[in-house]
Amino acid sequence: MREFWVRLVSMLAIVGVLLGYNSVLDARAKEDEIARLSAQVVGNGQSDSENGDSTNYKDGTYTGEADGFGGTIQVEVKIEKSKIAEINVVSAEKEDGAYLSMAKDIIPKIIDAQSADVDTISGATFSSTGIKNASEQALEKAVK
Amino acid sequence: MKKMDIHNLTAKDIKKLHVWLRALIQVLYFLFIPSVYTAAFAGVKYIFTQIGAGEKVSMTSFVTVLVVICIYTILFGRFFCGFACAFGTLGDGVHALYVWICKKIKKKPLQIADAWTEKLCYLKYIVLALISILCFAGVYSEAKGTSPWDVFSMLHAGNFKLGGYLVGLVLLVLIIAGMCFEERFFCRNFCPMGAVFSLLPVLPFFALHRDRENCIKGCKACTKKCPSNIGLPEDGSPKVEGDCFQCQKCIDTCPKGNIHTGVKGLCGNEFWFTILRAVILLMLLLWLGV
Repeated sequence: MREFWVRLVSMLAIVGVLLGYNSVLDARAKEDEIARLSAQVVGNGQSDSENGDSTNYKDGTYTGEADGFGGTIQVEVKIEKSKIAEINVVSAEKEDGAYLSMAKDIIPKIIDAQSADVDTISGATFSSTGIKNASEQALEKAVK
Repeated sequence: MKKMDIHNLTAKDIKKLHVWLRALIQVLYFLFIPSVYTAAFAGVKYIFTQIGAGEKVSMTSFVTVLVVICIYTILFGRFFCGFACAFGTLGDGVHALYVWICKKIKKKPLQIADAWTEKLCYLKYIVLALISILCFAGVYSEAKGTSPWDVFSMLHAGNFKLGGYLVGLVLLVLIIAGMCFEERFFCRNFCPMGAVFSLLPVLPFFALHRDRENCIKGCKACTKKCPSNIGLPEDGSPKVEGDCFQCQKCIDTCPKGNIHTGVKGLCGNEFWFTILRAVILLMLLLWLGV
């Protein structure tokens, strides 16, 4: 019986450490956010305008495809007001569920960067590379 | 005498039924849900990578799979390993094929000596520690191409572009060679996910025990049959063997039917209990969208 309790306590300790670790990071992130916001209030006039768009895309919806893990991944990129507004994975039949949903984390990255030139998701390298390359192909079609 | 014959026949039939049921479940999981093992282990790698980089550990799909499989294992024992893991099924298949070929050419199958296997089985903890450290140090992604699991997953998915995966491919071939000579060679000795499972506080309800007092003196049929060479704990003991894959071969091997789970009412209903566990696992995995 002792063995069981030792294992149980160790497991709970690991879970506890992970949760504690996360909450510390959360607290830190909050502090940083507050610091950033107050700096913004002080610096007042400097707005965080979204300028410097060197890339201009034609409005519309474009598709692109590329190799993922087990087969082809097809994506659809929506351009609105010359910007990447939305990226959807249209088909990824041979991709694995858990990996694909992990790989989709690359989509907000692409939208943030307004470019497909971003780092892939570690752990889901193949699927995210597929989404990245497919988006790149779609964006090529959208360049003015 | 006649009665005895019929009795033997049914016991044999039950055994056969269990063998076919297990094979069926294994083949179905192998064909349709092969990536749970890699996804769950990707969860472990993700956790260490994030901590190493000082980033938050979020509930990504990998971590969710890891947590769910661990909870399932705590409840039901390592049923996942014995019935649903694609790599375990690969091992069983390769081993069965090797033994079958040996039988055909009338040669005795080679086996790894017990003295070796007893020590080899600690290697899985080293594999787990090594990969965790590499992830923590943030250099695991540079070791891409060395993972035999990636190669296996790629081949399974029909992706044969294995350029840059030479090391992984060689390791996979070595593992498959090992699988010939020892049942569950990989699971016992090298599987890092198995290392995690074998350290979990598995609840004793569905773990296997034996009524030792009722045993034939000196009989070791179950230990010999067991892929992990486990001498099962006695009845009433809360001990749970971390290396038991719940393959349940021992139950049918015991000449006296001494082996049963902690919950005695299940005795004789192992067939349905196996199906129940397979279905529960399937539901969980479908719910997770693996």
